[in-house]
Amino acid sequence: MAILTNMLFGVFFIFFCYGMIVAKSRRQLLALALAGILAVSLASPPPAEAQASIITAIQSVLNVINGKIQVALTAINKVRSTINKYYQEAIWPVAAMNQARALVTQMIGQYRNLMQGIFSIRLNSATLPNPVALENVTRNHQTGDLAAVTTSFTSTFGSVPTATAASPADRTMMDMDDALAMDNLKTLKESDSADDLALQAADNIEDQASQAAAGSAPFLTATAVAASIQSQALTQKMLAAELRQEAARLAHENALRKRGATITGDVSTQILNLLQKR
Amino acid sequence: MKKAMQHARRGFAWIWRHKVRTVALLVVLVLVAPKPVKSQFLDPCCAIMAAGLNTIGSTLSSVIGGGLNDILSIEQDISKFEQTVVWPQQLINQARSLVASMRGLFNQMEGVMRIPVNSATLPATQQFEQVLLSRDPNQIAQTTTQYAAVYGAVPDNTAASPQTRDLVDMTDAAAQAAMKRAIEIDALADLELQAADQINQSIATAAPGSAPIIEAQADAWLVRANAYTQSATADLMRVRAVDLANASANVKNGAANSTAIQQQIYNILKRP
Repeated sequence: MAILTNMLFGVFFIFFCYGMIVAKSRRQLLALALAGILAVSLASPPPAEAQASIITAIQSVLNVINGKIQVALTAINKVRSTINKYYQEAIWPVAAMNQARALVTQMIGQYRNLMQGIFSIRLNSATLPNPVALENVTRNHQTGDLAAVTTSFTSTFGSVPTATAASPADRTMMDMDDALAMDNLKTLKESDSADDLALQAADNIEDQASQAAAGSAPFLTATAVAASIQSQALTQKMLAAELRQEAARLAHENALRKRGATITGDVSTQILNLLQKR
Repeated sequence: MKKAMQHARRGFAWIWRHKVRTVALLVVLVLVAPKPVKSQFLDPCCAIMAAGLNTIGSTLSSVIGGGLNDILSIEQDISKFEQTVVWPQQLINQARSLVASMRGLFNQMEGVMRIPVNSATLPATQQFEQVLLSRDPNQIAQTTTQYAAVYGAVPDNTAASPQTRDLVDMTDAAAQAAMKRAIEIDALADLELQAADQINQSIATAAPGSAPIIEAQADAWLVRANAYTQSATADLMRVRAVDLANASANVKNGAANSTAIQQQIYNILKRP
């Protein structure tokens, strides 16, 4: 490449000298000189670097690597090591997590069967056939036999008298009282059944907690809170049933008072009429 | 020598005659004069540059490469710790599947609580019971009419004393309000069950980092549910308070009636 460049340069110089010698006018001479200068300026190589500046540049690169970059890398390394140590020793120490899981397992063993045993003690106390049947059906935690509640209730507490055996007001009130009592007995059966499912859910969450990792525990706590909302909703349904029952009892007493007031008024009128006749 | 001097003199004469050309040639000659070229083997500059590049390379390899390797080793350690101890994928999936099974359990519970429990047999009581168990707040307005159909209305002022009418009206109001609240609470409980199911659904697809956000929302719902429970308990207390007040009013009426009867007997005995 260099030889070719030199040859081209020599040919250019010979032609240029020849042109300068044979030029006939000043104008030709000037044009030739300008063309030569322009060609040389365009083709001339850039000035060469000095040796001293290269050494300085290399040294400065080395200084940057050995200085700022090395310091930065060492600092990053130190920070990451600290974070790693902090994770393993302070935030998620394996020993503490194993201890927590062991505690869950130990508490399952200590309490679950004991509490289940207490909760499953039979509370039935009736002695006669009809009350025994009613008590059994209201305490069996089943929801497929709600119709049996009505039958057993009627057998035990009697049914609403026929239209000829009681006044319409009495029949209505008796039917309403019985209906709300039976509604609540049925709701209690549903609630008992739902309680069993809630206890099963609690057991499942606890079982899972005994194997959980720090990263999977938030799922369990979140679902436990959701379960608490559901449990709270069921408590509210029970409270609503109790409200209906208490309200009906109050309404019943109030209806008797209304009737008493009416009867008293009637009796007073009749006595007055009797006295006036005399 | 003489000849050479003659040629030189002639050359100078030519130069003197062609001053401009000579100057132009000199300028071009100066400009195009060959410059020193850097040699790959002999020029010390290239050797220095090669040595410098080698040093930079080895420094990069030892300082930066070594440092990065150390960081990589720590990062791998952290990554392994996080993947096996803190957030093991298998346990996360296991927790998610538990959440899915919990949804099934709670849907079962919701289904159980939705089984109809209606038991009334007469037309008026059936309608009233239907409203009371409707879980529909839009039916609250019908409670008053149907309550009166079952339990009767407040006696008019010719049929009962003002005190008795007040007592009856207050007691009816407390009973009706409790019944209306029961409908409200049932409806709210249904909505809570629905929300809890939605929350469970979103937990089943959450990430460990997003689960606490959902948990926070669930906590808020729990607080809300507690407030509704408290409200229902308050209404229950109200009903019982009115019941107690009724019992007290009965004793008061009894005392007043006894006094009135005593007075009347006294008046009868005083007559000649």
